[in-house]
Amino acid sequence: MVIITPAIRILDGVGGGLMFLGEIIRTLRKYKIDREAILTQIYNISMASFFTTASSGFFVGALMSVQFNMQLRQFGALSVLGGLSTSATVRELGPLLIAFMLSGKVGAYTSAELGIMRVTEQIDAMRCLGTNPMQYLVAPRFLGIIISAFFLLFLGLLMSILGGVILATLVADLSPSEFINTIPMYVEGHSVLSGLFKCLCFSVLLATVCTYKGYTTTGGAKGVGKTVLATALATMVGLVLLDWFTTYLAGVLLDTWRAITI
Amino acid sequence: MLEVKNLTKRFGSQEVLKGISLAISEGEILFVLGRSGTGKSVLLKNIVGLLKPESGQILLEGREISKLSEEEYFEVRKMCGMVFQHPALFDSLTVYENVAFGLRRHFPGMTPEEVKKRVTECLDLVHLEGVEDKLPPQISYGMQKRVSLARTIAVEPRYLLFDEPTTGLDPVTTNAINRLISELSRKLNTTSIVVSHDMHCALEIADRIAVLDQGQLIALGTPSELLKSQVPLVKDFLAEITEEDRSRWLS
Repeated sequence: MVIITPAIRILDGVGGGLMFLGEIIRTLRKYKIDREAILTQIYNISMASFFTTASSGFFVGALMSVQFNMQLRQFGALSVLGGLSTSATVRELGPLLIAFMLSGKVGAYTSAELGIMRVTEQIDAMRCLGTNPMQYLVAPRFLGIIISAFFLLFLGLLMSILGGVILATLVADLSPSEFINTIPMYVEGHSVLSGLFKCLCFSVLLATVCTYKGYTTTGGAKGVGKTVLATALATMVGLVLLDWFTTYLAGVLLDTWRAITI
Repeated sequence: MLEVKNLTKRFGSQEVLKGISLAISEGEILFVLGRSGTGKSVLLKNIVGLLKPESGQILLEGREISKLSEEEYFEVRKMCGMVFQHPALFDSLTVYENVAFGLRRHFPGMTPEEVKKRVTECLDLVHLEGVEDKLPPQISYGMQKRVSLARTIAVEPRYLLFDEPTTGLDPVTTNAINRLISELSRKLNTTSIVVSHDMHCALEIADRIAVLDQGQLIALGTPSELLKSQVPLVKDFLAEITEEDRSRWLS
């Protein structure tokens, strides 16, 4: 029972989240979503998270440069620092760490905002006043988060390359051109696509979890606190699992593509 | 006329409403009293379709509404306005925008001038002026409750459902809100259901009073009938009523 009860609760949460995603997709197909509301969400999310994402991206790249510098220096292979650290950042660590930052900021904010609207009966009042909250509240936030999170993650990746270049210059005595010239050797088109695919999957996960958790909040102020905590936990664990799955999927797709083209 | 027949509602294993049957005539003010957690708010939420009953019927002017879809409920909610326990105002919108919100959804053909005229009328009805441009957190809780009332009456519903409209208010504001409910119901000729804990107020303004206990209707009658009731819970509620008031209402 110690294991079964939490397992059922997790499965219940995953099932509820997937059904909620289905409901959002049905809403997007059935109703017209106010373009201004989506743009407002994109603007708010982007402006609120621009600095966090850019700075975390910068330091992820810087961190990778420092780490690879220590390892490669032992083998006298500093010339490939740019390619290796950028490859690791773009394909793997960059999207994941920047998504963690975004989940803390965008996820917590959105779930708390919807949660408070739920417990103070604003969502019920909206229904009574002839408005579909899925159309008016959830869908614009869902689309706004996906679009802005995708571009913020992309911005974070660009900043991570900048952070890598600057730190490589400072700690490994490499010139920016020496760093950048080796990037194409290790970062191929599919690496970039894989990174962008991850960014998109992470954005959808983040948007779904925070809107679902916020919309289904119960239990007053304490309930909102629990919602924010549950959102943080679900997005962090979900991001790691999704990272593993997308890496695996990207690997399978790449192998298939290579088998077809060779 | 609004009729509720054998309504049951369950949350998990807990049965909150156990076969409630009620009928409310046009223009009547019905107070629903009962202890916390006896299903009073759940009854109202079933009527406006925020919750779906397990069994039973809700007939609004002869039409069964409990099985309607969310889209089909749109017309029902235009007829049945609900004032929530919390003011439930939209924090990011001004008082004006809050009152205009339902108007714009229910009457998309209204011109901005017509919306403005109606918003001003409704704020006048709840005795509020000069607060149109304020955000809900910038006005007092009592004023928020009155804005909430103005927002609900703006779409001219024929049925008004109040969920504990005076909870959390001081005695002066409580009296003002109660007077407002009575005044609006008579002035607009609406049928009202008021969920409350306040027996004094119920005796003062209700046409009939229903008492719920553990999901069941245990008493229903006019104020003078309730005053003579021998049901223990009703007697408990009446304990706060002074002899002077009792004889006044009985006479």
